[in-house]
Amino acid sequence: MFDSSFRLGAREGFLSFLPLSIGLIPWAMVTGMAMISTGLTPLQAMGMNVIVFAGTAQLGTLPLIAAGAPVWLMVVTALALNLRFVIFSAAIAEGFRGVGAPMRWYCGHLLTDGVFANCMEKMLKVDDTRWRLGYFLAPSLWSWLLWQVFALVGVLAAGSIPKNWSLEFMASIALLVLLVPMAKQRPMLVAAAVGGVTAVVLRGMPLRLGLIVGIVAGICAGFAAEHWHGRKEAS
Amino acid sequence: MLWLTFILIGLATTLPRASFIVLGSRVSLPPVVQRALRYAPAAALAAIVAPDVLVVAGDFTPLNPKLAGIIAAVAAALLWRNPWLPFVAGMAVLLGLRALAGG
Repeated sequence: MFDSSFRLGAREGFLSFLPLSIGLIPWAMVTGMAMISTGLTPLQAMGMNVIVFAGTAQLGTLPLIAAGAPVWLMVVTALALNLRFVIFSAAIAEGFRGVGAPMRWYCGHLLTDGVFANCMEKMLKVDDTRWRLGYFLAPSLWSWLLWQVFALVGVLAAGSIPKNWSLEFMASIALLVLLVPMAKQRPMLVAAAVGGVTAVVLRGMPLRLGLIVGIVAGICAGFAAEHWHGRKEAS
Repeated sequence: MLWLTFILIGLATTLPRASFIVLGSRVSLPPVVQRALRYAPAAALAAIVAPDVLVVAGDFTPLNPKLAGIIAAVAAALLWRNPWLPFVAGMAVLLGLRALAGG
């Protein structure tokens, strides 16, 4: 299992990802605190953290859990927030050539934005299957560990902070900070603006359906903006 | 019930992540679908956050401490790389404005 080319790959993957991984720490802590301020017990919060292992999906579904929204709506919301992974997964899939199915499932479960961005290029280039597996697994397991440890720190810290400090606001900040780099592209900004405005306008719809309509409207608007933008540049 | 919800949200995370890694090169998405899906996260994030910061007690209220906090957080994210600053700036503005309002 841990032959020398696996270890060489693991070493290189870990070292290249280490500086980037520090950014996970505030995220994990904020997610931990947000889960507690939503009303989860520490056990439920850490259970969610281990089972879901995805900051965006966790932070995005917490307001729905707090509002008592139906389960299917939470699942649809999580799917919408996770659709980017379908694209990442398709982009990095070639990097797992020669790897068996159970390990592919496990690697898929561990796939995160940071590791994808950090590892994709070499995963596609390098020939040695063992090296590639080490190169992907080491930073992924490191992310997993950081995520669990610092979410636990957040969970434990949240209890000692007064409720009127509105710590759940940190979840809103966290979601928006994720949005900022995306919105630097014009069509993404259009998708976000239309999604946000639609959700506000339709806030009165039952079952928080305005959220789903907002997401769909945002996707359509972004796609339309991309076409319009592209045509303008071509002319 | 809550635990079932966690498992379902977990599946809604692991399945998209594992999808093409497990399927390998046997299947691929049409490029049009791939391009459209790129907008899903931005639309979803905005649709979740906007009602939280623009609606107060059911009414559209553009001027409120939460929006000011969000603007401060976004400014910090745009200006500096430090991952902690948006949280510090956003919380400081929210709590500062509330304290000033005598809340």
